[in-house]
Amino acid sequence: MGVVAADVRRAGSIDQVAVSVKDVGMAFGDVHAVRNASFDLPQGRFLTILGPSGSGKTTLLRMIAGFDRPTSGEIFINGQPVSAVPPHKRAIGMVFQKLALFPHMTAAENVAFPLKMRRHDARTIPEKVERYLDLVRLGGYGDRRINELSGGQQQRVAIARALVFEPDLLLLDEPLAALDRKLREEMQLEFRRIQKELGVTTINVTHDQREALVVSDEIIVMNGGAIQQKARPVDAYRAPSNAFVANFIGVTNFLEGRIVELTSTQAVFESNGVRLVGIAADAALAAGLSCSGALRAEQIRIAPRGGRLDDLETVVDGQVVDCIFEGDRVVYEIRVPDLAGVLMRVFDHDPESHLQFGPGDEVRLGWNARDMHVFQK
Amino acid sequence: MRAPRAAYPLTWRVMDVLERLAAIVWPSSFQRGLPYLMLMPALVLVGLLVLGLVQIGDTSLRTLDTNTFLMSESYTLANYQRVLTESFFATVAGRSLVGSVIVTVITLLLAFPYAYLMVRTPSSALRKFLLVALFLPFFIGQVVRAYGWLIILGNQGMVNEALGLVGVPPIRLLYNYPAVLFGLVQYMLPFAVLMLAPALTAIPGELESAAASLGAGWTRTFRHIVLPLSRPGLVGAGLVVLTLSLTDFAIPAILGGGTQDFIANAIYDQFFRTSDQGMGATLSLMLVAVGSMLVGVVFMLFGAGTLAMTGDRK
Repeated sequence: MGVVAADVRRAGSIDQVAVSVKDVGMAFGDVHAVRNASFDLPQGRFLTILGPSGSGKTTLLRMIAGFDRPTSGEIFINGQPVSAVPPHKRAIGMVFQKLALFPHMTAAENVAFPLKMRRHDARTIPEKVERYLDLVRLGGYGDRRINELSGGQQQRVAIARALVFEPDLLLLDEPLAALDRKLREEMQLEFRRIQKELGVTTINVTHDQREALVVSDEIIVMNGGAIQQKARPVDAYRAPSNAFVANFIGVTNFLEGRIVELTSTQAVFESNGVRLVGIAADAALAAGLSCSGALRAEQIRIAPRGGRLDDLETVVDGQVVDCIFEGDRVVYEIRVPDLAGVLMRVFDHDPESHLQFGPGDEVRLGWNARDMHVFQK
Repeated sequence: MRAPRAAYPLTWRVMDVLERLAAIVWPSSFQRGLPYLMLMPALVLVGLLVLGLVQIGDTSLRTLDTNTFLMSESYTLANYQRVLTESFFATVAGRSLVGSVIVTVITLLLAFPYAYLMVRTPSSALRKFLLVALFLPFFIGQVVRAYGWLIILGNQGMVNEALGLVGVPPIRLLYNYPAVLFGLVQYMLPFAVLMLAPALTAIPGELESAAASLGAGWTRTFRHIVLPLSRPGLVGAGLVVLTLSLTDFAIPAILGGGTQDFIANAIYDQFFRTSDQGMGATLSLMLVAVGSMLVGVVFMLFGAGTLAMTGDRK
């Protein structure tokens, strides 16, 4: 019986909720920075809050960190309400946008700072500092001053400092935004590696959709202070819950129209007289309402005019307006006269064929109905 | 292909002519001398100061003949001997030194929270109010302000009248050491705040948030982060307040009422009351020496780099 109880406890701890945000709002006068945000984050997960600037994602993070107090709702960390707890009494490590390393201390002193402030045993501090500097691959750099380190090395010091006191929660406030692309992508993988190695529950804030898809177990997309969707990266990408998410993640074409027929899964709509079929992705759809169909640029196939795209359900003709070579792919901008001259963006990833069209060429586009997500407009 | 004439407006032609004229007056080969030329006025001013110091040094080595009221022809160290041996001068020097140190400490203690609040407050109205409150006394000269304190603190002043209403007999608030120190602190506060504010602005607010998230409460954030990082500002403000109050004249003269002379008052007396230019010059040089030594000691203790004049260190 004792064994069973232990098993139950262990099973319970796997799905234990580390952070629970319940109806949290933040209002500055009449301006609502965050509105009725609610989500649960299980222990050990890597969550990214993704959104454009001004979407409320940083405000939400600052409330979790304790720098701002919600004007409504409550945040729970390990089941305890924390609104009344000041930041320095919360066990939260945070990596700041501008890193906020202490310039008058060495790398090792920066990492030792939280241990001293949290009154860890002074004899264990040097060993812990060394262990965490090794973890971020900065062994031997402890004596360097902050201004003697490169941008990437400073990132690593900031991560070590935020993790060394073994916090319940790690918060990342767009720390990678200022880095150049190559270093940023390297650090994204580094964040992921360290997070998996330590199993620390992490909340990351970014406006970089690629970063969100790469590092996260789960994504929350925010806009206008409200949570738009919470899903695994692959689901947020493949099955966006509304037009904003579809537009924000990936490169998406929108075809405006009016619903003519609706089943539980399929929506048929008319755009400029053309009948288009897609997945009914929005519960608020109804026949006769205006709608927009979202179609990813990479789901569209391109062929010469008169070319055979028999395996595709929808085929339209168009003319190449522009063609942008991006190395691993070509982005075509194609005007489609049948759809009121709408400009559609199409990716061609096939290196064999991807430069075969130029501006002015007559082409044919095709896609499948399952790739078109229809939302209320 | 030649560009059409209309594409080259008249104003450009005028500028071309001006530039050609400028090239005749100041050929581009002189360009490298330009920074030095711009440095000249400052160098001339400093040079004049050195000349004056040489003159004062010369005067300090001559004694006053009290019969003829002429300076002696030959050099002597008698003035220096008097300054170092007579207790009057030691008292004045001690009073000035101790006073300026006390004033510096109190001023920094008061200026720091003021500057901190001014820099960190999210309310721009409060920031403006604090700035105006700081600058207003600047528009009132030091002497006028000292007289203002006479009106407020005098035996028939506002403070004593108010005390009289509740039955307290008049207290002597003026013409003593605390009154002088009080006046000096009030005079120095804006200087200190204005020197501290940029240093505090240079500390990103994010550092304080970071310290909080790492487990430091307000006092420990202040002690470990804000205070060390504001050291350049504190040293700069401290030096300014220290030297200004050490050499101040009006406040000790007016609020001290002749009983609380600082070094500057003693120098004034020597030059304009007893007409002993030699003694006045000696005291002046001693003041320069003491001031320079104080600055030197501060630089040795805290490093000259504390004034943020380290250049581009990588």
